[in-house]
Amino acid sequence: MLVIGENINASNKSVAEAITKRDEGFLVNLAKAQTLSGADFIDVNAGGGYGSLQEATAAIKWLVGIIQAAVEQPLSIDSDSPEVIEAALKEYHGERLIINSVTAEPARLESIGPLVAERKAWVIALAMGTDGIPDRVEERLTACERIMSYLTGLGVKAEQVLFDPLVLPIAVDTRQGMVTLKTIEQIKLRYPEARVVMGLSNISYGLPKRKLVNRAFLLMAAYAGLDAVIVDPLDNKAMSLIKVADMLVGKDSSCRTYLRAHRKGNIVD
Amino acid sequence: MSKDIIATIKENVIQGRKTQGDVGIDDSLAGTPGVVELLQQALKSNVSPQVIISEGLTAGMQVVGEKFSTKEYFIPDMLASAEAVGAAMDIMKPVLESANVETKGKFAIATVKGDIHDIGKNIVAILLKGAGYEVHDLGIDVPTEKVVEFVKEEKPGYLGLSALLTTTMTEMGVVIKALEENKLRSSVKVLIGGAAVSEEFAQEIGADAYCVNAFDAVKVLEGY
Repeated sequence: MLVIGENINASNKSVAEAITKRDEGFLVNLAKAQTLSGADFIDVNAGGGYGSLQEATAAIKWLVGIIQAAVEQPLSIDSDSPEVIEAALKEYHGERLIINSVTAEPARLESIGPLVAERKAWVIALAMGTDGIPDRVEERLTACERIMSYLTGLGVKAEQVLFDPLVLPIAVDTRQGMVTLKTIEQIKLRYPEARVVMGLSNISYGLPKRKLVNRAFLLMAAYAGLDAVIVDPLDNKAMSLIKVADMLVGKDSSCRTYLRAHRKGNIVD
Repeated sequence: MSKDIIATIKENVIQGRKTQGDVGIDDSLAGTPGVVELLQQALKSNVSPQVIISEGLTAGMQVVGEKFSTKEYFIPDMLASAEAVGAAMDIMKPVLESANVETKGKFAIATVKGDIHDIGKNIVAILLKGAGYEVHDLGIDVPTEKVVEFVKEEKPGYLGLSALLTTTMTEMGVVIKALEENKLRSSVKVLIGGAAVSEEFAQEIGADAYCVNAFDAVKVLEGY
C-alpha cells in the first residue's frame, strides 16, 4: 500500500505556526521523519485563511521549496484552491507528484484537470460533486464517472487517478462504513487501472478510542481494494497494520515486507 | 569462476531468491540473477552437479536452518529458500539421472491416517529433496496398508511419518506395528515429527528418531 504522509498540514496547529514564522527547521524535520518512517509521498498543505491570494501562494511556494530541497520523496500538493495548486506546481520540479485534489465540480475539474494532464501528475479524485459528499454509493460513483470521463478527454490515464471514496463519520450514520467500502469495491471493478486512496481518521470522528476504529476500518478497506492511504507515518502502529493488511490480502510475496520490517523492529502490536 | 557462481547460488538460497525478479530477505542481491538463472549458467559452464548441490544448495539451506532455529528466519523465509532449492533440484533431476549420480537414498513421507495437515510434511519433503534424497510424498490421511505396501514394493531406506493431532499420532505406532508384522521393520528407518509428538513418544512406539523440525530431519538422516 502506498503511504502518503499527512503531517505537513496547516490544520495542524504547530505546522500552521511554523509556516507563519517560516520555521524551516521544524517543517524539514517533519518531512525527513516521515520519509524515514516509510512515507512514499509527502503531502504539503499550507492551509487557508490568508489575507490575500498572494499571501497564500507565497506560503505554499515557500513550503514546497524547502521540502523538495530536503527530501527525495515526491510531494502531494494539497490545497482547496486551484490557484494555490497552480502556484505550487510552478515551484515544484519533481517528475512524480500528486495533485490533491479534484472533484466532479465542473469549475474545479476545468482548472485542475489541465494541470494534471500537463505535468503527467497523479491526482486524488474525491467522489463528490457540487452538493458536498453524497451519502449513497451510486452518487459517489456518478462523481467518479464524471471525473474520469473529463480527465480521459484531456489524455489523462486511469493509472494517474487515485479515487478517494470519501468517508463520513460512523458516529453520525452507521451505514457510512459500508457505503465507503462498497464504493471502493465498485471503483476497483469499474476502473481496474485506477487506484483507491483514503484518509484514515474521518470514520472515527466523535467516538472514543478513535485509533482503534481507524485501524479496523483500514483492514476492511484493504480487503475492499484500497491501494493507498493518507496517514501519519510516525504512527508506528498504523504503519505496522498497513504492512499486515498488504500481507493478508496477498500483496506481500513471501511476507517479505512484513518480515523485513519486523527484523528492523518496526512492527508493533 | 565456478567457485564464484556456486557461492552466489548459496547466497541466493539464503536470500530465498528463486528467480531474478524475486525479492530477497534484504536488498543486497536485488535485481541480480536468482538460483534458477545461476544454475542454468553453471550447468552450461559444466560445473559439477554434485558440487552445486553440496556447496551451493545444501550449504545455503544449512545456513537457512541455523537462522530458522535462532528465530532470525520465519516460515515464509524458509519456504522461499526451500522453493528455490526445489526448483533447482527439478532442473537438475535429468542431469543427475543421465550422469548416473546416486541419490542419498529413498525417503517416503506421509501424514498418517485421519490427519490432513500437510504444511510440515511438505517442508520436510522439499528440504530433503534439496539435500539430495529421492523423496516420495505419499500424501495426507494415508492408510497404514498403503504405507506398508509402499515400503514392501519400493524399499525406501527411510520413512517419515507426520501428525499434528494427539488423536492421530497413535496411528504412527500402528504403522510401525504393521511394518513389524510384515517383517519390514528392519529394512527402513522410521522418523516421526509433528506438533503432537515428542522424543518420549518416539521411544514408546519404537520409532528410530523424533525430529523437532524439518532441518532436524536432515541432520538426523546425515547421522545414518
